[in-house]
Amino acid sequence: MFDRLQQVFWKALTPDLVPDESRPPVMADGLAPAMLAALGGVENLKSHQPVALTRLRVELRDVTRIDRAGLSAAGVTGVMTLDNGVVHLITGLQG
Amino acid sequence: MNTTQPLQLLAPLSGVLMPLDSVPDPVFSSRVVGDGICIDPTSQTLCAPLSGVIGTLQDSAHALSVTANNGVQVLMHIGLDTVNLAGKGFTSRVKMGQRVEAGQPLIDFDADYIALHARSLLTLMLVVSGEPFSLLVDEATCIESGAPLLQVHQGEQGAVQEVQQGSVLFSSPLILPNESGLHARPAAVFAQAAKAFDANIQLHKQQAAANAKSVVAIMALQTVKGDRLQLSADGPQARQAIETLEKLLLSGCDERIEAPLAPTAVVASLEPGRLRGICASPGSAFGVVVQVASQVLEIEPMGAGIEIERAALERALAQATLALRALQGEAAGTVQAQIFSAHEELLEDPTLLEQAQALVAEGKSAAFAWKTATEATASLFQQLGSALLAERATDLADVGQRVLKLILGVQEERWSLPEQSILVAEQLTPSQTASLDTSRIAGFVTVGGGATSHVAILARALGLPSLCGVAQQVLALDNGTQVLLDADGGELHVSPDQALIEERQAANDRQRQRHQRDLEQSAQAARTLDGHRVEVSANVGSLRDVEQAMVLGGEGVGLLRSELLYLDRAHPPGHDEQAALYCAVARALGAERNLVVRTLDVGGDKPLAYVPMAPEANPFLGMRGIRLCLERPQLLREQFRAILACSGLARLHIMLPMVTQLAELRQARQMLDEEVRNLGLKQAPKLGIMIEVPAAALMADLFAPEVDFFSIGTNDLTQYTLAMDRDHPRLASQADSLHPAVLRLIARTTEAARAHGKWVGVCGALASEPLAVPVLLGLGVDELSVSVPLIPTIKACVREWDLTVCRALAQQALGQDSAEQVRDLLRTCPSTAHPATLVTEQ
Repeated sequence: MFDRLQQVFWKALTPDLVPDESRPPVMADGLAPAMLAALGGVENLKSHQPVALTRLRVELRDVTRIDRAGLSAAGVTGVMTLDNGVVHLITGLQG
Repeated sequence: MNTTQPLQLLAPLSGVLMPLDSVPDPVFSSRVVGDGICIDPTSQTLCAPLSGVIGTLQDSAHALSVTANNGVQVLMHIGLDTVNLAGKGFTSRVKMGQRVEAGQPLIDFDADYIALHARSLLTLMLVVSGEPFSLLVDEATCIESGAPLLQVHQGEQGAVQEVQQGSVLFSSPLILPNESGLHARPAAVFAQAAKAFDANIQLHKQQAAANAKSVVAIMALQTVKGDRLQLSADGPQARQAIETLEKLLLSGCDERIEAPLAPTAVVASLEPGRLRGICASPGSAFGVVVQVASQVLEIEPMGAGIEIERAALERALAQATLALRALQGEAAGTVQAQIFSAHEELLEDPTLLEQAQALVAEGKSAAFAWKTATEATASLFQQLGSALLAERATDLADVGQRVLKLILGVQEERWSLPEQSILVAEQLTPSQTASLDTSRIAGFVTVGGGATSHVAILARALGLPSLCGVAQQVLALDNGTQVLLDADGGELHVSPDQALIEERQAANDRQRQRHQRDLEQSAQAARTLDGHRVEVSANVGSLRDVEQAMVLGGEGVGLLRSELLYLDRAHPPGHDEQAALYCAVARALGAERNLVVRTLDVGGDKPLAYVPMAPEANPFLGMRGIRLCLERPQLLREQFRAILACSGLARLHIMLPMVTQLAELRQARQMLDEEVRNLGLKQAPKLGIMIEVPAAALMADLFAPEVDFFSIGTNDLTQYTLAMDRDHPRLASQADSLHPAVLRLIARTTEAARAHGKWVGVCGALASEPLAVPVLLGLGVDELSVSVPLIPTIKACVREWDLTVCRALAQQALGQDSAEQVRDLLRTCPSTAHPATLVTEQ
């Protein structure tokens, strides 16, 4: 318990220098069908990976095929469309 | 005068809101930094949430603060662990000190790069100035950049500060007592203490404020004696932090608060052959000049690759930390140890590290980055226009040089000194002096520096004369030039004439001879003139002390301060580590000598990091010593077990501190007996108690049958008897252990012990005072446990006296009105004219 406390102090001094040991487990492969559908189906999906604790990073062939309402229904609270077909889906902290 | 004036903070980003509590980073979720809100961004430009001035802007551009005219300060931190990116993925559009309007773009960032390379993009907006606020939108919804997000309520913090978590608490104004302000050592002590609290703590001086956990920031406040300072804190432990730090600050941060020596000034030379200076440490010496110049290091500005250089810097920092720890260990308990501890703090300073890392990230070499970062900060200190702070810059320069040498793989210079060296330097750094053979040094002369410089402190600790503020021309003296250093007279005589040398030398010789004689006789037993043997043993805190004590004629260890093994640690030392230390000490002593181990003596006044204690209003009357140990019996039981590991290696004694009640002794005795049985030991160690609470002295007749010995802790006994804090600025001089009341308690203790055939030692400071020796002997004390360097002196002192004279003197002392009268009595008594007394009394 003290370790934890000390780490907090150390981090307070040099925010972020201390990496957190509890990296979240990689999300199970395979997306929820509803989410996959809202992204334009499996043929529109080039790659997908969970990133940055709260995000699902997907590469799409055609970003215009995104169904925003469908994503919301699938639990995505925010969508960030980036260059080259990359989209971040904010899914919140897992577990 | 504050009026409630609503201030709206705009969302700095578009994104999804997250309450601070949910942020997976304890620094933020615990509100150590401040209260606010978290946004998971869906836009890539951080905009100003309010109009104001850019305060801190990290070089790595992942965080900045904006301060409004009315003092509201908002910190924004993009992502978690993003400092590791060292600026990559961030582009700042503003500079520090720049005025910005609400909504103005501040930092562009590459969200995809950060998402792939850092832990998280979660971005914090924190009201670090501590005003309460309310959320203008629902939590866990999306927000657009520039939309009103928080409503800050100004001028309310006074009303809510007692109740609201995360609001800021303020201390009362504090007048700084330290002669030289918060320079490196007290700043380090202060920062170290501040770090123990889960709170965001600021030290304020007028308009300026510093992070109380940063040594550099505190030093940059450039405080001087008499400054009105104020502490503010927010966070879960804000109140405890304020209480503790307020006391620490007022008590001088462990620095002795004493009359100042003359300020540093360069005094012009009077005549050829004589250089004027200021006495930094008294005394005089004849010797030869040794010029000490610092090494010039060659540094390649460009690095061999960011990763390589980053690793090189980290490695050197780690090595430097280890080296500093080793130096602290070697010098344990000395001024130098404190200095190196302060240096270690500097190495961990967030500001320095950030600067250096940012330069490395730009492709510079580790050496160049580190040198630039330390020099920039050092010159900042120098530019602030205070001689005092300029002196502190040498601390930084010293740490800087140490790390640089490690990066570059340059060996520390080893000086081979001739006998009677008078070291001459622009300025001597602690690292330089640490590698010197002090037995060959006769004195110090420096151009820079003053009474608070390290060389002055070191010289005083070594008892060597030192002159500072000497004219530059002293640096032109050839090595080997004969000089007479007269620090008392503030002069350095170059190639002095023979008569002067002889006159000064005769006086020095007399003093040295006395000391020499004491040293030569130190191996002999200390017997009074009428043949009564007194055991003179040592107070020690480390193995090194023990070894030194043996060399100086110590006849045993009368006090091993076991808590030194526990302080400044994150965990209790394990059984093996403890046992190894006790065994090493016992082996160094041998089976025929006494080893008295005092069990853990900590409490509210010297807290243990891993034994959390509720703050106490009056720690000296709180859970200290045996009280704490019995409350946490596991700690004591483990210590007993570890101490018992050295059973048989020396004549083992265990001593309990702060005993007040018989029940405490009995409980500890029972625990010890159980451990002895569990280990199957044939012989139990002796068990005794410290007599430091008047109650124990008054009840000594009841304690005596149940103990094997008593040891009188005169420091605490004095403060508890006289009800005077020995560190109180105005009472300390009256808290004199020679007060007849204290002596009467000692008399009572020795009487009770004698009646039951037990022995009595004195391990407090009084035993190390030559003037007090005849009284203590006369009162029937059998053992004097003294500070290591004074062993020969105290032994010599014992040999000067006849025990029957001592007894008569002690009886007279018990009848005096006051401590002053006792001192007068002792000073006028014939045998006390012993030279040793004059030497150490000053």
